[in-house]
Amino acid sequence: GDSWGIFTFLCAALCNLPALPALNCSEELGAGQSIQQTYDLTRYLEHQLRSLAGTYLNYLGPPFNEPDFNPPRLARTERVPSATVDLDLWRGLTDNARLAANYRAYSRLLCYLRVLDGQVGTAELRHRLAHFCASLQGLVLSIGGVMSSLGYPLPAGPPAPPGAPLASNDFLKKMDDFWLLKELQTWLWRSAKDFNRLKKKVPPAVVTLRLEAREF
Amino acid sequence: AVPRSVSLAADPAVISPQDPTLLIGSSLVATCTVSPDFPLKAADLYWTLNGRRLPATSYATLGPTTLSVALAHLNGSRQQSGDNLVCHSRDGGILAGSCLYVGLPPEKPVNITCWSKNMKDLTCKWAPGTEGETFLHTNYTLKYKLRWYGRDNTCQEYHTAGPYSCHIPKDLALFTPYEIWVEASNRLGVAVSDVVMLDLLDVVTTDPPPDVHVSRVGDLEDQLSVRWSSPPALKDFLFQAKYQIQYRVEDSSEWKVVDDVGNQTSCRLAGLRPGTVYFVQVRCNPFGIYGSKKAGIWSDWSNPTAASTPRSERAAGGCDPKGGEQNTTLRRELKQFFGWVKKHAYGCSNLGIKLYDQWRVWLQKSHKTRNQV
Repeated sequence: GDSWGIFTFLCAALCNLPALPALNCSEELGAGQSIQQTYDLTRYLEHQLRSLAGTYLNYLGPPFNEPDFNPPRLARTERVPSATVDLDLWRGLTDNARLAANYRAYSRLLCYLRVLDGQVGTAELRHRLAHFCASLQGLVLSIGGVMSSLGYPLPAGPPAPPGAPLASNDFLKKMDDFWLLKELQTWLWRSAKDFNRLKKKVPPAVVTLRLEAREF
Repeated sequence: AVPRSVSLAADPAVISPQDPTLLIGSSLVATCTVSPDFPLKAADLYWTLNGRRLPATSYATLGPTTLSVALAHLNGSRQQSGDNLVCHSRDGGILAGSCLYVGLPPEKPVNITCWSKNMKDLTCKWAPGTEGETFLHTNYTLKYKLRWYGRDNTCQEYHTAGPYSCHIPKDLALFTPYEIWVEASNRLGVAVSDVVMLDLLDVVTTDPPPDVHVSRVGDLEDQLSVRWSSPPALKDFLFQAKYQIQYRVEDSSEWKVVDDVGNQTSCRLAGLRPGTVYFVQVRCNPFGIYGSKKAGIWSDWSNPTAASTPRSERAAGGCDPKGGEQNTTLRRELKQFFGWVKKHAYGCSNLGIKLYDQWRVWLQKSHKTRNQV
């Protein structure tokens, strides 16, 4: 991850020196494809999660699996990255900031999901959660790839592990699980829109023009 | 849509008992006490169990901010994650919750059966003792130890042969008895199965015999010759093998079994119908390994091999004339065609009536699975 970032940075820097011939920055040509893949992966995860969440909430039992269930979020459950920010505020961020927020959020959500995986009762649910975690890991890497191909640095360091579970009783833990799945759903829904918009911003044509401008 | 969520600094209320475990049929009185910081009174509260509101007749006010509910003759938990008993404020908001685990202690697991594939490993399966459900998540642990040495070992790889099974892949000794048992535990207790004692050599099974070939016996209309190889995995060990053959007519689902094959690797089937396609399978029982007196465990059946008995030109009785004749004409033509192909087309030497028969087997199999879907 980091070596890619450095290489891309050097490439971009060298490309901008007028005295040097144009260098073939092939990473930038790959950005469009990389964004498309990330978008596709996001949609796939959205679909997977709908089915997984349905099964998991049935396992938690009513009222958790009722359609309009909306429990209070206690202070301690806010360690799960919340997707509920002002949409105008979100759109006002730079691409870099939005990508970084996505990267950090999914990294942390992945950690919480892995803890969940270790505690669930039925073998079938464990198997499905493990599969979903693997796909989500792929998304984190994919977002990292997009950031590198656009010349953005990856957010620093691995996310802090959840540590000791904060939910002090089984019912609170069920509520934590509910909110984890709900936030994950909202993040994926919004990320799909983000990547769709980003795709339109980085078409292949733009990159070709940039290269031509650097030739002697 | 952005969900509206209320963020709260402290727990609005406390339920007691919190996450209790109870026997089916027991009764429970639970209390909900509102935190001092919250402007709610006992009269503002109500209870739900698994999303259903509990009748106010079961409530009792124990203090200005404490409401209790009485639950009698509890049924087994609706889900293994526990029944959701929730204390609400008048407007429906959740103040606190408690998970009720209502069920039965486990019963002794029974019917432990084990087998060793080629003396390399051990797989055991068992059945849970309870006919019905315990309603609680039950954990099963398979344990084993050498009879004459003290240390207990725990099996790690579960669900390899169904939900109640475990696989021990290595570090197993031969010529010495093992004690094997299964422990079932849930929130209400533990139950241990009876101990099964076995030596790995007594429960050996192997792969199905490879290289099964079925061919005609000259022009004999009612016979087929079956040949196979002994399973290679056990070829270095002294053992007597028993084999069994089963065969059936293509259109029937009734298998005929030939039991007295002994340890030959060939057998002749007789009394067959002329001009008929037969499917044949072979399996192996590696009994008597290293002189063990016990029978081994039968392997799976080999994949079916097909062959057909010859049909003489003279009309034979006992067959449906229309269908049978069409079949025979087609086969005869096919044989002639393959013969011609062999002579005139190089590189097609694998074509033959045998390949056609294998295709018939495959067709029937895929036809069956298509019907099952």
